This record gives sequence, structure tokens and C-alpha cells, in this order.
Amino acid sequence: MNGPLFPPGGGGVDGADAQTMAAVRSMQMLMESCPGKTAVSGVMGFALGGAFGLFMASMQYDTPLATNPNAAAITSLPLRQQLKQGFRDLGSRSFSSAKNFGKVGAIFAGTECCIEGFRAKNDLKNGVMAGCITGGVLAAPAGPQAAALGCAGFAAFSLAIDSYMRRPSETD
Amino acid sequence: MSMFGGFGRPQPSSAEKIAAAEAEMDLVTDMFNKLQQACMKKCIPKEYREGELNKGEGVCIDRCAAKFFDVQMKISELLQQEAQAKGAGGGGMGFGGM
Repeated sequence: MNGPLFPPGGGGVDGADAQTMAAVRSMQMLMESCPGKTAVSGVMGFALGGAFGLFMASMQYDTPLATNPNAAAITSLPLRQQLKQGFRDLGSRSFSSAKNFGKVGAIFAGTECCIEGFRAKNDLKNGVMAGCITGGVLAAPAGPQAAALGCAGFAAFSLAIDSYMRRPSETD
Repeated sequence: MSMFGGFGRPQPSSAEKIAAAEAEMDLVTDMFNKLQQACMKKCIPKEYREGELNKGEGVCIDRCAAKFFDVQMKISELLQQEAQAKGAGGGGMGFGGM
């Protein structure tokens, strides 16, 4: 029965249950809050960017080392040192890619959550605006034209992905 | 929904108390249903994919409920003022003048 005076979840909850329920609910609220979403998105972006950077960096070694101008300095070292240098290079590239993706994820999720909280509506425009802001912020050091281009590009990308995710399902 | 300021009335009997409590319960339930319908109509779109409220809907419902209560208080204040004016003007004429 729904009513203003009937507690949800029914009776019979003892103290321990109520506490765990409260803890679960507060955890859920934390995850759904804007800072929570930003953090989760940032971490996931970091992980994804790290994996992606690792993959892309490892593909750079398909060209022979002789064409690399630093080759002489590297090939003169014993094998163990060469491997260490290689891994360090992989690590730094993967880390920089991870940082970039993490930044993108965090900024996008944060701004989208704030815009949605402000507008009190859930539709495609939130993603578009958040995408524009993210693209603009990321490209801002390169000048206003680059920022405008980044805004438009990221907004279009976000619109495409969101409309794909929200397309009416075939079973309806 | 407070009781009338007693000008030295006798204590209400238990039957009266029960009746008053029932009336209050009716009023509260009615208000709850109206609020729920109004905010549901305003904030929840007709097509949705999931059962949980997303952030936009949650914020909308918060604002809707707050506005509902504000409107209710304002209207009851206006009604009181109207009643006082009418009462001071002589004779309670009900709400015919509106």
C-alpha cells in the first residue's frame, strides 16, 4: 500500500538490517552523485587509456630500430638494458594516454552530471553540451579556433554515441 | 492542519478526536496523491528504459515537491487573508465573491 505514512520496505526490520540498508543506500547515493560519477568515469577512463596506450605503443616497434636516430645509443647496451628502456618507453606512453583518457572521462561525466542536475531533464542535449565543454577545455591550450573545433567535434561524437545508445529497441 | 484555537472549549471527546484524526489522514493522503500525480506527470517522460530515477528526474521531483508545498502555503495564506477581509467586511459570504 502506498501512502505518506506507510514506511517503504515493510515491517520487521531489526537494527542490523536497517543499518546495512542505510549503508547500501548511502553508497548508491554516493555513486549517483556528481562527484561519484566523475571519479568513477575518471578511473575507468584511466584504465581504458592505459590499455589503449599500451596497445598503440607496442605497435610502434614494428619498424626496425636502425632507422631510429637514437638507435646507436640504444643498441650498444646489453640486452637487459635494452629491454628495460623499451618497457620504460611503453610505460610512459601508456601513462600519458591513460592520463588523457582519464581527463576526458572525468570532465565529460562531471559536466554532464552538473548540466543534468541544473536542467532537471534527461535528454540528448546534456551530452551535447557536456561534449562541447569537454572538447573546448581539452583543446583550449591550442587557441580559440582549436577550442571551437574540439567543441564541435566532441559534441557531434557525444550526440552520435548517445543517440545510438538511446535508439528505440527492436523488440518494442 | 492544526486544531482551532480553543477559546475555552471543552476537551474534545474521544469520538471527536478519532474523527479529527481520520479527517486529517484523509487530507494528508489526498495531498500526497495529488502531489504524486502532478510531479509524475511533469517529471517522468512517457518512454523510459529503466526503473531507477536518473539524476534529472530526481532533481525535477525534488523541485516539484518543494514548489507544490510552497504553492499550498501561499494559497492558504491568501485564503486566510481573504477570509479575514470578508469577515471584517461583515458577514461570512463564503467564496462567492471570487
